[in-house]
This record gives sequence, C-alpha cells and structure tokens, in this order.
Amino acid sequence: MIRHLAQSTLGAAFLISATLMPTYAVSQDVDGFFETANRPSLNFYGVTGLIDMPSAEMLPDGQVAVGISTFGASTRTTLTFQALPRVQASFRYSGIKDANLSGFDTYRDRSFDVKFLVNRESRYFPALTVGLQDFAGTGIYAGEFVAVTKNFSGLRIPGSIKATVGLGWGRLGSSGSIGTPFGSERPSFQSGDTGGELSVDQWFRGDAAPFAGVEWQVNDKWGLKAEYSSDAYKTETNVGVFERKSRFNFGAEYQVSDGVRLGGYYLYGSEFGLNLQIQLNPDRPVSKLRIPAPRPYSVRPSRRADPQAYSDDWVVSDAEASRDVRDAMIPLLEKEGLTLIEVKTTASTTEVRYSNERYGATAVSIGRVARVMARLLPASVETFRIVPVVNNLAQSAIIFRRSDLEALEFSPNAPDALLALTGFSSADPVLNGSARNEALFPKFNWSIGPYLTQRYFDPNEPIRLDAGVALNLSYQPAPGWKIAGQVQHRLTGNVSEIFRQNQSNLAHVRSDAVEYDQGGATSIPQLYGSRQWKAAPDVYARVSAGYLERMFGGVSAEALWKPVASRLALGVEVNYVKQRAFDDVLGFQDYDIATGHVSAYYEFNSGLTGQIDVGQYLAGDVGATFTLEREFANGWRLGGFFTLTDATAEEFGAGSFDKGIKLTIPANWLLGKPDAGVRSTTVRPFSRDGGARLNVPGRLYEQVRSGHRKGLVGNWSGVWE
Amino acid sequence: MIKLASRTIGAGLIAVLLAGCSSEQSGSVNLTKVLATSLVNVVKSRGSEAPQRVIVTPEMYAKIVIPLLQVNPLESGGSDFLQRKVTRRDSLPGMVEVWNSTDNAQIILRNGVVIGTRGIGRDIIAADANYTVKALQTGASGSGIRTFTVSDGDVTTSKLRYRCEIRNQGAEKITVVKRGFTVNHFEESCSTTITGAPELHNEFWVERGTGIVRKSKQWIGPVVGYFEMVLLKN
Repeated sequence: MIRHLAQSTLGAAFLISATLMPTYAVSQDVDGFFETANRPSLNFYGVTGLIDMPSAEMLPDGQVAVGISTFGASTRTTLTFQALPRVQASFRYSGIKDANLSGFDTYRDRSFDVKFLVNRESRYFPALTVGLQDFAGTGIYAGEFVAVTKNFSGLRIPGSIKATVGLGWGRLGSSGSIGTPFGSERPSFQSGDTGGELSVDQWFRGDAAPFAGVEWQVNDKWGLKAEYSSDAYKTETNVGVFERKSRFNFGAEYQVSDGVRLGGYYLYGSEFGLNLQIQLNPDRPVSKLRIPAPRPYSVRPSRRADPQAYSDDWVVSDAEASRDVRDAMIPLLEKEGLTLIEVKTTASTTEVRYSNERYGATAVSIGRVARVMARLLPASVETFRIVPVVNNLAQSAIIFRRSDLEALEFSPNAPDALLALTGFSSADPVLNGSARNEALFPKFNWSIGPYLTQRYFDPNEPIRLDAGVALNLSYQPAPGWKIAGQVQHRLTGNVSEIFRQNQSNLAHVRSDAVEYDQGGATSIPQLYGSRQWKAAPDVYARVSAGYLERMFGGVSAEALWKPVASRLALGVEVNYVKQRAFDDVLGFQDYDIATGHVSAYYEFNSGLTGQIDVGQYLAGDVGATFTLEREFANGWRLGGFFTLTDATAEEFGAGSFDKGIKLTIPANWLLGKPDAGVRSTTVRPFSRDGGARLNVPGRLYEQVRSGHRKGLVGNWSGVWE
Repeated sequence: MIKLASRTIGAGLIAVLLAGCSSEQSGSVNLTKVLATSLVNVVKSRGSEAPQRVIVTPEMYAKIVIPLLQVNPLESGGSDFLQRKVTRRDSLPGMVEVWNSTDNAQIILRNGVVIGTRGIGRDIIAADANYTVKALQTGASGSGIRTFTVSDGDVTTSKLRYRCEIRNQGAEKITVVKRGFTVNHFEESCSTTITGAPELHNEFWVERGTGIVRKSKQWIGPVVGYFEMVLLKN
C-alpha cells in the first residue's frame, strides 16, 4: 500500500524536508555513537559556503542538505546532494518577488549547480574546489568559481576558524572585477530563454572578481560569518527590488540540533536575511530498525553421536515428503511475515520458494527461512535452496549447507564467513514436482485510503495539492496473472486551477496534464490486466493491457535478461498506446503511437547504478534517456536523469529537454520497524511533451534485482538478524 | 513431558511474580522498551521517572525452577528476566547460550561473555570474545583483541575492533538473593582508535570452583549501553 500510495502521491523532496525533519532533529541527538558531527554550513544558495558566496568545502559523502534562505525579495530553496566524495550537486527553486521579468509578479526559476573538489584539504594545503552555479542555460544565477578553504584550530581563541578565498565569474564576478583572464564574451541573462542547455561557451568567460570570507565556529552551537561579496546583484537592482549599498555581509548561526542550523544575517548594507539549513545522511536512519529476534533452534546432534537421526527413512516418496514439509512450514513462515509458495524436498536437499512482504532487505527474509528450515527439517537434509519470489518471478536460489549455518551462527565473523560459503545461482522458472501452497490463489486485495497529488513549479503557486480518496483493487487468479485498478475521487485541492496556455509544438502527450486534472473529480488512473513469468533461468517477461496510466491505455510487452550475479541487465519493451480522454472516465482520443525502448542497466562498484534507454517516446520523438543514481545499502537512492531526443529545444519549450531528479526512501528507514515499502518521487523542473516515456506499471528490473547477488550482499548481515 | 510442564509452570510463576512487583515499585521493563529513538518515545519519556530495578526476594527465588538471568539496564533502569532457550557448543571455547527476554529480544552469551544481541536495535550481530572467555576460564590476567559487528539500524553493519586488557582483581564475596558466593572479580577495559566509539569497561564475577559467571556488567551495544546481568538460576 505504501509503495503504491507513494508512487501516486510523490512525497517530493520539499515535502520530505517538512515531514521528516522534526523527527530527525530530535532522534539525532539520542544516539550519537560513531557519528561525529561533520556538517559544513551552507550559504544562501544552499551549498557549502559562507553567506552569499561559496566555499571549497564538501559535505560528508552521501549527505543530503536542504537550504531555505530569504533576504530582500529573494527566496531560494535548494536540495544539495554529496553524490560522490568529490562531487556535490544541487537543484534549486528560487523566487524574486515583484521582479517583473517574465510576466509574473514573482520571477521564479529553477537551477542546477555542481561543485568538484580538486584538492582535499591537508595539513599545509587548503581544499580547492571548482564550481558551476546555474550551469544549464543563461540562468539568472549563472556563475562559476574557483575557491580555496582552510581550517584553523588550536589557536588562542576558542573554537575553529575557516577562511575562504575565491575568484568568481558571471554573477560571481560582477562586482570588483580584476579583468577577464579567459576571454571577455559572455552573453548576459535573458529572461524567457528556454535555457536548459549546457552553456559551455560562457563558463569562466567575462569579468572575474575575487571574493573572500571567514567563518568562526565559536563553540558547538554558535558560529559567526563575515564575507566580501563579488556579486553586484545587477538584475535585482535593475528591476528595483534590491538596493546594494555594501560589499560586506555579516551573520550569526545557531546549531539547533545535529541536523538543523539557523542563521540570521545583515547583507549588502541594506537587508536582513534568514537561512535555515537542514542536513541528513542516508546512512544514518531516522529510526533505527529493530527486527524482532528470531526463534532460536537447536542444532542437529553429531552424526557419530546419533547416526539414527540422520536416517532418510522419513522420505517414502519425494512428493509425500514435500507435502509434509509444506504443511509444517506454512505456519512457521507466516509467523515471520513470509508466505510459502512451494516446497520440494528429497532426503538430502530442500528447496523453499517464498514471498516476502515484511522485510525491506531480502537478506533478512532469507535468514528467517533458513532458521525455519534448520529447526524443522530432519537431520538428513543438508542442502538448503532458498528462493525468494516476487509476483511469480523466482529471483534467485541462495544455497546454504546446513552444517555451515549451524557452525557459523555464533562465530566471531558470522556474516562474512557465511557469505564466503553461500552459493548464488539462477532459479529455474518452474519447480517441477513441488508441493504448492494451495491457499494462495485466487487472491483478492483491496485497499482504500487518502491520496495526495502534488504539482510543482506553477509560476503563480509553486506547490499545488489535490487530496481525495483512492480505492485500489487487485485480483490474482493464478501465479503471475493480475487484474488491477485504481479509482480516485478528488475531494479538495487547487491543482486544476492551473492556467497554462498549451503552446507545445509536439503532440500533447504530457502538456495536457491540466486538462486531465480539470476533467472530473472521479477518475480511473489505472485499470489493466497483466501477466509476468520467467521465460528462462535468466530471462523475465511481462505483458500488460488496459488503461496503463492516467493519460494512455493500450498494450505493453517487456523482456529482461538479468543473470543472478551479473552487474549488467538488458531489457526491451514495446508498447502500442492510445491517448485517453480528458473527462470521460474510460474513453480514448484519436492520438495513438507505438513506443518502446531497448534498455541497459548496470550496477557500478561504488553504489552507483546507471541506466540507458534508447527508443521512440510518446510524442514520436526518438532518442535516449540517461539515468545515474547513487544507491545506499539501506535502500536510499538519489539521482538524476535526462533525455535527449530529436525534438529540438524550440519544440520542447522551456527547459529545452526532459530532465529531473529521483529520490527513493525505504519506509523502514523512517519507521524503525520492518516494512518492505518504499517512498519514491520524481521531480521534473519542466514536464513537457519531448522525451516522455509511458508509465507502465510493473516494470521488471526493480522487481527482480532485490533478490540478486548485488542486492543481497550489501545487507548480508541481515541473514543473522 | 514433565520437564516441559515444569517449565511452563515456572514461566507462569515468574510472570505472576513480576506483576506483583510492578504494582508496588515501577516494575520490570522490556528490553526493547528502553529505547527512545522515535519522537513519540522521546516526548512520552519526558517527565516520567526511570523504572526501578526489581529486587528479587528469597520467597520469589524459591519459586524459580528454570534457568533465569536477571538483567538490569544501567542507563535506563528497570529489570527483565531472561530464560535460556538454547545452548550450543561449537569449535570455539565456551558454551553458547541464547537467553530470551519477555518481549522476545535476545542476549547471546559465550561462557557468560556477550557475543550477540537480537531484537534490541543496533544489535551486536557477531563478536569475538575468545580471549576474554579464556581469561575467565583460566583465571589469568591478559590482553587481546575483541571485535564487534554492530548493526547500524538499517541492515548494514559497522565493525569495531578493540584492544582490551583483562585483570583478575582477586577473590571477593558477593551475594545473590541472600546466597553468598566466593568469586574472582575481573575487570576488562578496551580502547579503540575509531573516532566516536566509546571505551568499554566490563566486569565479571566468576564463581570459584565451578567457573560459572555469576554476575557481570557488560556493554550490550550502542543503543542501550551497559547491562548488569545476574545469573539467578543456572
């Protein structure tokens, strides 16, 4: 339910900062073990820095920061992610009040930043960082910088001092220029430009100006900052919303809790400002997961002490023995929150196929199954084959020797020792001769609950919400078959009030979202039938038909090749879809299209996952989507994607091409108790018709991956939890 | 069968005994309840006093018929009574015992030394206590390495490596429910180079003659800190 709800409600980055932070702020201080505070402060752009100027610092690896700052007419909300130890990336949504630049009262803009650490700070040398601010397009904040930062502590004064000196270009070189070291041509900011394209030709061009500042962290709680700014605030001054009387800024910051810092400032000799800085690390769960202890079991007697116990007399026929084991095992697995699907046993080997709806980490469920087997099965069974199954897809076979399980459970290095002795192999599509759990099908599920729809970045109202009731139904007549649907009824909200003249030059495959929102209070976002199965030990397949998403219905077929121990997966998907009607609940419009992609997925060593999809998109444009995500062992994922197609920037409109950020948070990271659900969201600065992919429910890759070797090893200690 | 029956009756008695206690004092505490990581718990725990530890009287003791370990969390207060579920021998020195709490958390001991916890949160998944076990068994002072694989609370782990020293401080007399024992008192201190990780100070009171660890004060993990453990009945 949570997984489903999350996908439709999209609890986006901004919402997360609102819902999660209060808990975070308190829980942080309770458990300070191992977690030394390391949280460089943020500037008004929500990146590591001084007050309005950047510094050369990086956040701790993987850290996520949200900065909300306001002074004068400017408000900036920034999500910053330390994607790699040396790479920091940011997405910002900003507003300048009363700046009548683009026909709206408040000028609103989206921008991306990136910072690279060239040299790590050492005893004698400062940290050196190169940064690009608002680097896509001739944005209002476009600027580049090189900065060095050095920390000093153990001085005569208390606390520590951090000094930063830098050289800025573009916006960061607009005041106090010392010349144009890399050429003078630089296009100026144009409001109304489509933007979005990498403006390589303007980087480090034009005037360069120095900036500098110091931060004095007086004690654990209080910090003071002073800086010399190289930003002239030309645009803001020109439109008359800001007066810049000085180059100097001053501020004081207070660390409210480990994750929250609040600052007050006096800027440019004319304005007071506030900056709220929130930081969290995906590696540090908000609530520490507590899994109920497993039921202990006694190991088998040694064969020498009791040879009779090892007799295989209990197996008269494999079929009968399998049925006996099945009947005994169903309630035991149920107690662990797991569902037995089928069992096949001989006197020496038992294979158990099961599904897991409780534990976020598949490794935990494998450990639970292994213990149940060790407790239940007669002593002659020495080989355990454990097969996690997700909707009829047997992910993999994890093979244990029972003696290893018994010998290693309380050994000093139990997780690593067991991993070295565990086999991972592909599971056969069908387990012939098994005893199946007859009670599973047909299965009918329903749930009813609230839903929340969000739309971001409307120029008049940056966040719009709809709330209502959603009814989810699903019927599974047999393994792999599913008929599912969702009915929504809107009760309140302002999403449909968005007024946007649709001037898109492409087929209106996404830009008519407003028409759907205005179509009626009751809608059927999905209603489809699907079947998925394993076609071969390493090949998975799916076919779906019906109303696949809110805007399109049709047929879809997908195949995926993914060996258990392979980092690489390849997939192909073809769809034929027709555009759904705006107001009629079940009707169609005239537009139809064949769309499909060839996909490659790769799991890198450093926790990065990459995906490339090449094919034809909904508007008939042809191109490729590139996705790169950082994945943490606990299931957190944060990354971005962009799509380049043969639709030109003019055809696409503002933003020039499709791009966005993706965030996934496992539910148990927030809740602290076992929960297999995830909350995930995709934020697109501009959602338009170019590079738009069909949203088919039940794509295969994510269903399969959690039970494969790479998905298991990161949480392998969970086998013993 | 008789054994099984007596066990059930024993467990029932304990439950009754504890219920009796808690009406007078603040009573027993569940192991998992000592955590206060969530906002709700933090708020709830404000203003309420720490639960009292349970004092076992000779009358209560007389009714205990099963192996029972009294556990007193030192930081959060309160007491719980753990039952021994399984014992096991493996290739390493010392017998492994799995003790279950009333709320299905576990402490795993090897010859009385903590080598694991389950269901408490940020559990010790695995630990190497070989040198400590040997010192307690032989009665000799010594030094060695202890390692802990500790859960980070999100199904990943951190490894802690400690350099430890254990000293036999000589004979002492201790009383457990008015029964006197002559014991050797061991003090163990461990340090690590990992930043942020605490130093550890454990204590063991080992019965002379039988070698049973009658009482100990040990580190149980980053969330709960130290527990005092008293073996009421073996």
